[in-house]
Amino acid sequence: MGRQNSRKMWSIAALCAMIGFLLLPIATSLNALASGGGEAPPAAPVAKAEGDKKDAKVEKGRDVYYKTEGIVSGAPAPKTEDGPKDYPRYNFESRVLLWFANQQHLYYGSFVLAVPIFCMIIEFMGVVTKDRAMAKKYDQLAYDFVKISLTAYSLTAILGGILIFTFLTLYPAFFGYLSSIFRPVMHIYALMFVAESGTLYIYYYGWDKMKEGLLKWLHLSMSVILNVIGTVLMFLANSWIGFMMSPAGVDEQGRFLGNIWHVIHTALWNPLNVHRILGNMAFGGGVVAAYAAYRFLSAKTDEERAHYDWMGYIAMAIGVAFLIPLPFAGYWLMREVYAYRQQMGITLMGGLLAWLFIIQATMIGILFLSSNYYLWQALGRMRGAEKYQRYIKYMVFVLVVGFLIFITPHTMVMTPAELKAMGGQQHPVLGNYGVMSAKNGGINVIITTTVLSFIWYMRGNKEPMVPWKNFGNIFMGVFFGFAYVNIIWLAIYGYYIPANVRVGLSVPQVASTLSCLFFMTALNGVMLKGAKQMGPIEWGKISARSQYAIIMLATAFTWMMGLMGYIRSSVRLFWHVNEIMRDNSPWAYTHTVGFAANMISFNVLFFWVSILFVFWLGALGAKKAPVEAKAHVPGRVPEPAHGH
Amino acid sequence: MIVTNPVFWFALLATGVVLLFIGKKMDLLKTTWYAAVVSVVIAVAYFHLVDHYLMEMQGLDYWYLFRK
Repeated sequence: MGRQNSRKMWSIAALCAMIGFLLLPIATSLNALASGGGEAPPAAPVAKAEGDKKDAKVEKGRDVYYKTEGIVSGAPAPKTEDGPKDYPRYNFESRVLLWFANQQHLYYGSFVLAVPIFCMIIEFMGVVTKDRAMAKKYDQLAYDFVKISLTAYSLTAILGGILIFTFLTLYPAFFGYLSSIFRPVMHIYALMFVAESGTLYIYYYGWDKMKEGLLKWLHLSMSVILNVIGTVLMFLANSWIGFMMSPAGVDEQGRFLGNIWHVIHTALWNPLNVHRILGNMAFGGGVVAAYAAYRFLSAKTDEERAHYDWMGYIAMAIGVAFLIPLPFAGYWLMREVYAYRQQMGITLMGGLLAWLFIIQATMIGILFLSSNYYLWQALGRMRGAEKYQRYIKYMVFVLVVGFLIFITPHTMVMTPAELKAMGGQQHPVLGNYGVMSAKNGGINVIITTTVLSFIWYMRGNKEPMVPWKNFGNIFMGVFFGFAYVNIIWLAIYGYYIPANVRVGLSVPQVASTLSCLFFMTALNGVMLKGAKQMGPIEWGKISARSQYAIIMLATAFTWMMGLMGYIRSSVRLFWHVNEIMRDNSPWAYTHTVGFAANMISFNVLFFWVSILFVFWLGALGAKKAPVEAKAHVPGRVPEPAHGH
Repeated sequence: MIVTNPVFWFALLATGVVLLFIGKKMDLLKTTWYAAVVSVVIAVAYFHLVDHYLMEMQGLDYWYLFRK
């Protein structure tokens, strides 16, 4: 016993030493960050010496965003010219090459940042679950997740290298400028990456060694460290794109003013951070669910099908949980874009890029339709869920109507002849509906219906036994009914009041949806306490169509991420750094919608082909796993569900 | 108009909650029509309060059309 304790203590000490060692470089870098980025670059014109040191003149500049004064600590943004010096090239459009490298790195980066968060959540569920069988299942699931992300992690690093080389080779002047601005934190980014890799490998390879007692908690806390590092990495990367869209911390010539926090904390940084975290989680959930669907469809035994059905369900549930607040984070980002530069917002949503938002709306609609379809199919594996089947047709109707309203364009893309024939850019009938008032109504109806589908799914094989179940059911029905009425009423009301009042109606509309999400899910949870089970969830007994819906969901996520990245990047128009550094390459124009769509599709296709390779590698590893290790693979026999 | 005053909706919400407690005490919540009435009263009052206060929070008047 004493020897075991001693071993435990040594393990803890070794782990703490390792974590401390990994975090040491970051701790030492904090000093430089706090001092505003360390010393100024030697080549930078910090001060002009005129005679004696005492008479040295310090040049000051005014921050373009914060409007504060600061000492000029960097060179101005280079004025580039189209030529081999600033824009060396192959016989191909450099922007397209960079687009491809960037997008692939981003896909993999999002995936490997999201999956450890899932692992953390699922491992935690396993640790706190009292049911030992379920705890084992959760633990194995978390391990399966991290196994997939490990191969993807190597690919992310390789793609990051390719991206840097693409920048250096094709856009040296721009990359040099951006590196000079972010110089004080560039090494932190690199060290964070080292820390992330180290922690991930210890986390993965230490899984079996740290599976019990205090060591398990230490293992779990390591996943927290892993995710903190991953999130900081993402925040730093977001600060670069935030700076490119809404620069701060520099003067009007683009000279760094010595405050690195201003450069990082731009107007759009926080909304981008929130939007990206949610987006990555939804995307990661989609990809893992697609992996499970792929394994389900290729499974040879019922046991395998049961396991991957369950895995797909958990991954999809996490993905959808983050998908639901995603549109609201998107609204916040757009609101901040408008607040930063109204013209930028108009270019996005009412001008050059507006049609891309129609495509985005279509993708969002597909995401929600696929999620609902999956949940309806999943009702089939539960005894007792038949009672909801007859209502599905009405839900389809509501979803389709909401979807059609959500995707209705306000203006049409037309030839001059068509424009003349129609008498304007707005269609006489459709023009009335393609406005935000109606669209907000459409999307909120869709989300509320998804919440309802999820609640029905939770109730599928259960019968509430609380004494007040009659009132609970009626209250839930009435609350949902009035939420729909309120959302639709606000959408209609918006047509009768001025624009400056109408714009605020989206907030109570969203609140109605969120009220259903939070209050009704909570009420449902309370009602299902001690509920009577009509039968077990028969994992694996689900239609193949449901798995294609999951694959559809994941593909739509991927496509939408590519689209939104393109929109966000394109809004800078002909600027590398908005209003600071002009893009003078021959490709400083906005592509046609068709070209952009083809490019996004190519990126999506490439990602899925490469991730299939990752999946295949994962499957290969599983096949070679020792028999003993496979003995406790969860879901070998369809088990009664103790929870969802 | 009385409906433009949030106190009216608060009063309605309070009425709904009181009816809920009375129903519980008198075992009326099992009666479908009673449960439906209580639910409607609470839901209508709640959503009106959400609309009113979330617009007011933004410095906007939810009752703009009704006051006109």
